[in-house]
Amino acid sequence: MSASSNRLTPRLLVRMIREEWRLHAELFGDRFAAFPVLVTLLSGAGIWLLTLTNASMDAVAAGLHALVFFFGLQVGTIGLVGRDALRDVLGDVTLLVFSARTLPVTWRRLLAVFLLKDLLYYSVLFLGPLAVGYAAVAVLEGVAPAAVALLWVTTSGTFALGVGTSLTLAGLGTRSRGLVAVVLVGIVAAVLSGQVDVVAFSPLGFYQSPSVASAVSGFGPAVVLSVLGPVLFQPAETGPARTSPDRYSRVRDVLGDGIATRSVLEVAGSSGSVWKVLFSMGVLFLVTAVLVAEVGRVTALDPSMGIAVGTLLGLGAFTTYSWVTQFDDAAEYRRYPVSMEAVFAGKRRAYLVLSVPAGLVYLLGSLVWVPAVEVAVGVVVFPLVAVYVYGVTALITGLSPNELLFDTPRFLAFGVALGVVAVPLVVAALVHTESPTLANGVAVGVAAIAALVGVLLARRASRQWADRSLDP
Amino acid sequence: MTGIETTELTKTYGDVTALDGLTLSVPEGELFGLLGPNGSGKTTTIEILTGQSEPTSGSASVLGHDPVADPLAVREVVGILPEREDPPSFLTPREYLQFVGDVRGFDAPDERIAEWADRLGFREKLDTMSADLSEGERQRVMLAQTFIHEPDLVFIDEPLVNLDPIMQAEVRDHLRDYCAAGNTLFLSTHFLEVAADLCTQIGIVREGRLVAERDPRDLEDETELLEYFRSEVDDATADGTPDAGEGTGPAAADGGSDRAGGGGNR
Repeated sequence: MSASSNRLTPRLLVRMIREEWRLHAELFGDRFAAFPVLVTLLSGAGIWLLTLTNASMDAVAAGLHALVFFFGLQVGTIGLVGRDALRDVLGDVTLLVFSARTLPVTWRRLLAVFLLKDLLYYSVLFLGPLAVGYAAVAVLEGVAPAAVALLWVTTSGTFALGVGTSLTLAGLGTRSRGLVAVVLVGIVAAVLSGQVDVVAFSPLGFYQSPSVASAVSGFGPAVVLSVLGPVLFQPAETGPARTSPDRYSRVRDVLGDGIATRSVLEVAGSSGSVWKVLFSMGVLFLVTAVLVAEVGRVTALDPSMGIAVGTLLGLGAFTTYSWVTQFDDAAEYRRYPVSMEAVFAGKRRAYLVLSVPAGLVYLLGSLVWVPAVEVAVGVVVFPLVAVYVYGVTALITGLSPNELLFDTPRFLAFGVALGVVAVPLVVAALVHTESPTLANGVAVGVAAIAALVGVLLARRASRQWADRSLDP
Repeated sequence: MTGIETTELTKTYGDVTALDGLTLSVPEGELFGLLGPNGSGKTTTIEILTGQSEPTSGSASVLGHDPVADPLAVREVVGILPEREDPPSFLTPREYLQFVGDVRGFDAPDERIAEWADRLGFREKLDTMSADLSEGERQRVMLAQTFIHEPDLVFIDEPLVNLDPIMQAEVRDHLRDYCAAGNTLFLSTHFLEVAADLCTQIGIVREGRLVAERDPRDLEDETELLEYFRSEVDDATADGTPDAGEGTGPAAADGGSDRAGGGGNR
């Protein structure tokens, strides 16, 4: 390897880190700099609240690792398959990771540096603040400072595991989509059957019992996947033009609305198609099911699976909102003879058409082991909460929900608005142990009121964003 | 009858004045070209006239409708082709034009789509995902969405960019035919060759004000129009405003936005 080639990697790394910062600054403005502070405060407050419920710090640490893993999965995909999302928000976006066509750098090297950049950037700006928030509570709870420092290291490793997994699956997908399905089914089957100790093959295993052996088994998969992803990835720079038979008329006949039809078709035509809605709901469902089981195991409570799943799926429908608003903007609709009220109504229809059936698949699937009454309550709660989430998101973010993520004041407003409904529903799920009828009644009542509020908020959003459309 | 009328139209973005008392009148049937350096307010003018933006002061009328009081009424009767706008990436041209038909509420969309796809030469691409079309093909689809509802007045920012020479000639013919039928066309362009060839009247806007207006057919050729343009914007050029005379044809594609002080377009 030549000297100039040796210098290339650190240069690329520095430029990619700078690019990532500028990307976030462009997306979210100067307020992005305050986001690490918010992460520290939120994580500290959240962990403190958990300790009030007698949750052990070990359980909290395990939860943080799980959260960071899913975050890593998401970050790993955004740079690769989320390119259309970036283009929608920023216009034509060219990232260094896509520069193999114009620079004498291989795809593999670009992806490897991209992955290293993600690890460093997010480890410092997100996982560091998360660890600080954890430390503030953990030290008071008697956790050794060394264990707190270790948490930063192992969550960073877990983040790498998530990004590496995304990248490897994306790399496999460039060769065979069938292979991705087979691998996913294999992993899920191995985990559910108890044949594989997931914790032992993740950095959490090292955190729980540090040793040379646990370091190898815990960090090994992250390293292997981080290498495998770039190796497997085959960029499809050119290919046959994608065609699609006339779907519009058929979908329009069903939905009865042009804006809803367009939104559904755009989600269907984008990366991951409508399956990404099903996938994201599946992840939420699994996380909720594990949490409910864990609460049942470590406490004397027996939370309502129906209320918990209905609530979490409803809140998680935010991602569907993001997808149905990803490919257009208010400026385009201001060129058509259509009111913002009609735009938001069409968007809501598309949002519900995509998210509700996807969530119901899992809720109804849970009938296998969850009592029918609990599932029925979940089936009622879920769409009502989804309607509320639509109203809140429409009012706070308009047709640009991605800006919410790092816009601290809006993020706080959004969090508070969701908390107002989520807290009583979670309480209802927990008290279900003692008084199931009351809990079910409260859950349905709260969800119904929330839905009504959601409808009103959506109406207000139409007026608000219509007024704003007349401003620069 | 007057197609477009503005009186003392002013638009400010904070400290920046994008339009500074713009007054103009465009009769129906005119092929009017608005010329000016980058940032002179051309795009802002179109945004206000189509109800996409509200003026700080002044008034406007488009085919008898007030774009501030009733923007939807204006948008119903006009077609709009913004600068550097593509059809939605994950819809095919057929699906996009069906969508346009839905929001515009016109009848027999399939027949009209086929007719316009034939006219603009993208019929074989009707079912191709727009993300996979060439830039020229995307521009043709955008032209189709501008005219498909047979509007009485059309606003276009740079109609010929990215089109091959044959298609450019066909679009020019179409625009002339369109105005010959009594319709009005309001064209914003950097390309003097386009203005000289197409327009029956041009207005030169500088720093948000209309500084000159004339029939370009009175001029000998494109070079003379360039000299005329230079003389009108000379003061602004001396102040450091980019010389819009650079590049006189659509092949010299210009990525600059004309929305003074308002940031770039999408």
